[in-house]
Amino acid sequence: MNGAALSRWTMAYFACAFGFLIGAEVLIACGYGFPAVAIEAPETLVLVHVTAIGWLSLLMCGALFQFVPVLVGQPLQGGRLVLPALLCLLAGLACLLAGFLSLSGIVEIGFPVLGCAAVLLAAGFALVATALARTLWSARRTGLPMPARFVAVGLVCLAAAVLFGAVFALTFTGLLPATDVAGWGLPAHAVAGFGGWLTFTAVGVSYRLLPMFMLAPETERATTRLAWWSGSVALFLAILAAPAERALSGSDASLVAAGLLGCVALACYGADLVFFYRRRKRRAIELNSRSAVGAFACLCLMAVLAVAMAVMGEAVRHVGTLVFLVAYGWLGGLGLSQLYKIVPFLTWLECYGPVMGRKPTPRVQDLVVERRDGPWFILYFAAVLGGTVSLLADRPELFRLAAVAMLAATAAIGLELVLARRLFNVAREKRLPEGTVRPHLFFATQR
Amino acid sequence: MSASYLDLDVRPILRDGGEPFSAIMEAVGALAPGQSLRLLATFKPLPLFQVLGARGFEAAAREIGGGDWEVIFTPAGAAAPEPEAAATADDPRGWPRPEVELDNRDLDPPEPMTRTLEGIEGLAPGQTLAALLPREPLFLFNELSARGHSWHGSTEPEGHYRIVIRRGGQAPS
Repeated sequence: MNGAALSRWTMAYFACAFGFLIGAEVLIACGYGFPAVAIEAPETLVLVHVTAIGWLSLLMCGALFQFVPVLVGQPLQGGRLVLPALLCLLAGLACLLAGFLSLSGIVEIGFPVLGCAAVLLAAGFALVATALARTLWSARRTGLPMPARFVAVGLVCLAAAVLFGAVFALTFTGLLPATDVAGWGLPAHAVAGFGGWLTFTAVGVSYRLLPMFMLAPETERATTRLAWWSGSVALFLAILAAPAERALSGSDASLVAAGLLGCVALACYGADLVFFYRRRKRRAIELNSRSAVGAFACLCLMAVLAVAMAVMGEAVRHVGTLVFLVAYGWLGGLGLSQLYKIVPFLTWLECYGPVMGRKPTPRVQDLVVERRDGPWFILYFAAVLGGTVSLLADRPELFRLAAVAMLAATAAIGLELVLARRLFNVAREKRLPEGTVRPHLFFATQR
Repeated sequence: MSASYLDLDVRPILRDGGEPFSAIMEAVGALAPGQSLRLLATFKPLPLFQVLGARGFEAAAREIGGGDWEVIFTPAGAAAPEPEAAATADDPRGWPRPEVELDNRDLDPPEPMTRTLEGIEGLAPGQTLAALLPREPLFLFNELSARGHSWHGSTEPEGHYRIVIRRGGQAPS
């Protein structure tokens, strides 16, 4: 068993991700994209991909480069790929957004920019997946622990999401023959991205990080195994079987089976979360673990709404609301709440690790002021809930107001993360003992 | 194939609260060339994989029910590779008894790590310290390697982690 080193570029991924989150919230607050225009309009595609690739995927990649080594107890393999991957992803996302803008008629671009986006994004995600898969592979001798298995399935889903996206982009560009590719492939693309890559991976990482932060027992539970199996089969059905069935027979039986299995997986995950919170040894939990409850509540609410709408036959009409709740309530909420722990912890380890035990050092908790920041998380989740309700009630002006509140809360949390990284909240006399260096904002110094 | 195994069941030692490391290393020393060790334990002995991996053994683990594990350590055909880090490379059997025993199980993170590193600073080079920690200290391992200390440890049946650290040659700064 080896130790886990600091990931050099994780902070750069986080910083870029945060920039895209702020950008997306500004766009929503300005009324750009859904619900003012249709869900498949180019403006909405801009919004969805700024959120899914810019904010959530970059956040997830940065976190995985740091925590997959923790999940498997092996050092990161292929660390040299991390920075080129970030540059490919940023360039690819820029091309993708330019391509959507040209589809909407705002700009005219004389070359197949969506084709460039497909190549660059595929290359970027391939570099990410190569480094992470090699790290998982290096742990095969000792058997992959359950959280790492979730990540492995998430990486397969990432490949599927990118493949579908690339086919769409090349078809729109005219590089592939024109077919109704979006008609049968779009649900699979969205499920692979939001459900497989982002949700399944986040669930896996949370299986390790939550017990770690709350000192809860980490014994492998039957519900965890059932969550993995039912979730994996659900994803297989939704991503591979459902498009084939739709193309061949026009029916949706495998999508219904995937939905039912997905509910089993979520119920098991919920049972495990309750177990972690109830059986924790650390009674007074920190703000990240408290605010994560808001994200879990959003996931639960999304599942209840999805089932209710499917039963009422309204799921297609409200799919935008469900995607908003998943992206900003569950994934975004979990991301913000865990960044609030991860950034101070990694900063503390980087700055004070070298002198720990030799000089008095501040505690991790001294890098943030939880009492000041708690209300921002409450505002964020209240705004997400308000946004969901206003979408269901068909009140776009209230949805924009909710986005303004989300933007305010996000900006405040982002500022607090910058302050934590700069050690601003640590008393000046304790801030930089001899032998320490103030960490850089965007990357970690290697020892 | 099973004829080539040397069987060692350390479950009774672990259940009596004992430390099976020396019994395991004795069994490893008694292996004939090419012979594998089949170890039965009450948990998955991850740190052993590193220790025996450094001696050229491949490990294959499987759960055999009741929380018990069977691990087969097979000698690789090639010569033993050089271990990557100083940590765990030297043989803990030759280490002196711990000068300090710390119980950091009930401290909130990151105090277990901080206290353990403080404890090492009080040791002379070559002396050892034992610490009980609430969980496997992955970030501490990295810090120990960076400072040139050696360590070995394992997850105890009760769920906490016991680590023994031997101070490296570097004098305190």
